[in-house]
Amino acid sequence: MRRTVLKSLLASAVLAATVGLPAAQAADKEIVIGGSIPMSGVFAFAGIGIHAGIQDYVKMTNDAGGIEGHMLRYVPEDSAYKVDQSVAAFKKITSQNKVNFYYGDSTAFSKTINPELDRAGSMIMSGASFATELNDPQKFPYQFIAGPDYTQQFGILLRYIAQQKPGAKVAFVYSDTEFGRDPIESSRGVAKELGLNVAIEIMTPPGAVDVSTEMAKLRRARADYTIFHGYILGPIPEFISQSRQLGLQTQFMGTFWTMDNSTVMQMGEAAEGFMGVMPYNYYYDDSAPAPMLEKIRSMRTEYQNVPYIQGFLSAMLYAESARRTLAAGQEMSAANLKAALNSIENFDTGGLIGVPISIRGNTIPVGRIYRADVQAKRMVPASDWIVLE
Amino acid sequence: MRIGTARSSYRHDESLFDSRTQHAWLAVLAVALLGFPFFADEYWLYLACLVAINIASTTGLNILTGYTGLVSLGQAAFMGIGAYTVAALEQKLGTPVLLNLLAGGFVAMLGGLVVGLPSLRVKGLYLAIATIAASVVLHFVFANWHSVTGGHAGITVAPAEILGVSFDTSFRLYWLFVPITALMVLGAANLFRTRIGRAFIAIRDRDISAEVLGIPLLRYKLLSFGLSSFYAGVAGGMWAYFFRVVTPESFPLIMSIFFLAAVIVGGMGTILGAILGAVFMTMVPEALKLIVGWLPLSADATLILSPVRTIVFGALIVGFLVFEPLGLQEIWRRIRRFFHLWPFRA
Repeated sequence: MRRTVLKSLLASAVLAATVGLPAAQAADKEIVIGGSIPMSGVFAFAGIGIHAGIQDYVKMTNDAGGIEGHMLRYVPEDSAYKVDQSVAAFKKITSQNKVNFYYGDSTAFSKTINPELDRAGSMIMSGASFATELNDPQKFPYQFIAGPDYTQQFGILLRYIAQQKPGAKVAFVYSDTEFGRDPIESSRGVAKELGLNVAIEIMTPPGAVDVSTEMAKLRRARADYTIFHGYILGPIPEFISQSRQLGLQTQFMGTFWTMDNSTVMQMGEAAEGFMGVMPYNYYYDDSAPAPMLEKIRSMRTEYQNVPYIQGFLSAMLYAESARRTLAAGQEMSAANLKAALNSIENFDTGGLIGVPISIRGNTIPVGRIYRADVQAKRMVPASDWIVLE
Repeated sequence: MRIGTARSSYRHDESLFDSRTQHAWLAVLAVALLGFPFFADEYWLYLACLVAINIASTTGLNILTGYTGLVSLGQAAFMGIGAYTVAALEQKLGTPVLLNLLAGGFVAMLGGLVVGLPSLRVKGLYLAIATIAASVVLHFVFANWHSVTGGHAGITVAPAEILGVSFDTSFRLYWLFVPITALMVLGAANLFRTRIGRAFIAIRDRDISAEVLGIPLLRYKLLSFGLSSFYAGVAGGMWAYFFRVVTPESFPLIMSIFFLAAVIVGGMGTILGAILGAVFMTMVPEALKLIVGWLPLSADATLILSPVRTIVFGALIVGFLVFEPLGLQEIWRRIRRFFHLWPFRA
């Protein structure tokens, strides 16, 4: 047995030693999209969707002849949602390919890799993070978010609330994480500007199960609306079921990572009437003509989650900025690609987003409020598209 | 001791590396380490730097857990102290890099001395829980001491700069991290040839007997905690210069488990074990990715194999624990012994 272990170890060492040779350089007529994608680990549910979304858009574009004679090539690597592995994937992909676009898996990665992007000056990046901090073109000149940042998501929710019930009392419930705290401070001012009253802010430990103390605070605040942020699912169902038992009259709402159809429906009966902000149309949306959604549905007959749409849209925006850069006869540098991206005005996403989009700063400040319909097992629109100025 | 290395003087007897073969192999290692950056691409240099940081921290934990027998799950938090110290000094005072790293080590050492106090009364799992509690407290401090740590958003660290040279690439950082780690490993190897190191081993083997022999348990247990935390602090400082962003979420509990696993997989209570363990824990996930990458599979297969890879990694760790409880260093020792007599005895 020991010999066998020894032999296997030696074989692994030989294999590992031979991998330093860089892979063949990317062909000139090629646009490379690299990605640190969380295909395993705690964020795999999103990573798998993102991966499929980028993959499908790349296939669709290449089948249609590519972009100005350039084929797209997608080079993903599993990051396991760990910063060190994400950076390793970035280094591996960028040292073996001439990468033009990159998809990152987290806020921590986006912040960590930013100096590398600035130094390389050859690629632009988007990712799974909607962190407000990234929406700063001065600090993050070569990054963007394929949707509204968390503060803008709160802004869309608060604007909807102000329209529905002027002067309403709002509660913010968030996790004690960088993700959870992100929009809280900046959204206080937004609420005030809209004439809303932030009645209470409740911070919970990440992964909290027992929320009875927080529930008591929420009950005393008598908020008309309660916005959750910094969670995927738990402890939201616990809050909702306890509030139903107590007869609390408050409308619960969530932000992007809670708002996937499958996540909301996991709440069971508690999901009924749950609302939230979503920057994209859901996979099944057929309320308006959406040729791109139809193509997606023809490629994949089963439901695709919202990270899929986000990955798909990211790839679409990469392709559009490449198309504009090449059409202008410019070099595919980070500065040119980002300038081309920022030149996108009233762009038709083929129904991924229900209104034409413009990229302002580093984000697309648009979204719509949806409401859960448990009977139909679907999220249904509760508002028109809200575009922040 | 290998054949043909009869020791003829006390000086020779005390030497760390006692045979010509060892000297020759060390020279080969030194040449390989010096030559590596000129042949490796950015990816391999990145991994080399990461391995160097992990070796430094694992060696520190090995001093505490492997040599002194005190189980700690606070190594990541101590790295956090070092990282925040370096980040804060770099941001607020702009002090020299090496001074920052030393300061990171010393501040972490102070933290370690405080956390080590319960080790006088509790051992084993109880001590492990006490160190977890300390990690939670430190995490809270990192997240809430806004003026120093920047709260949840953390601190962005400027690149290390020595004599006008900016250490902003893995190539340059390699020349900073590898010598520091080499010095730290050499220091640890020498430690166990001194009274202090032998006292640690005596405490590990039987603390009551050690006390009877005249070893003050308080002093030596705290010293072990302090030294281990110093190593973690310096490693955390290097981590800060490497990733350039330090947040409270940078040093989770799972990272402490990673280092403890590295010590166990490598072989507790041996210097080589800590090195091999850190290399194994850092490189095996990457090696598995490469192996999966070589397989002639579609991109969808890569997706399916990602969780399989995690399972294989876990199974490899369990496999080592079951089939080689003395760790990788024992396998290494057997390979060496095999070649001592090769080809005369298979």
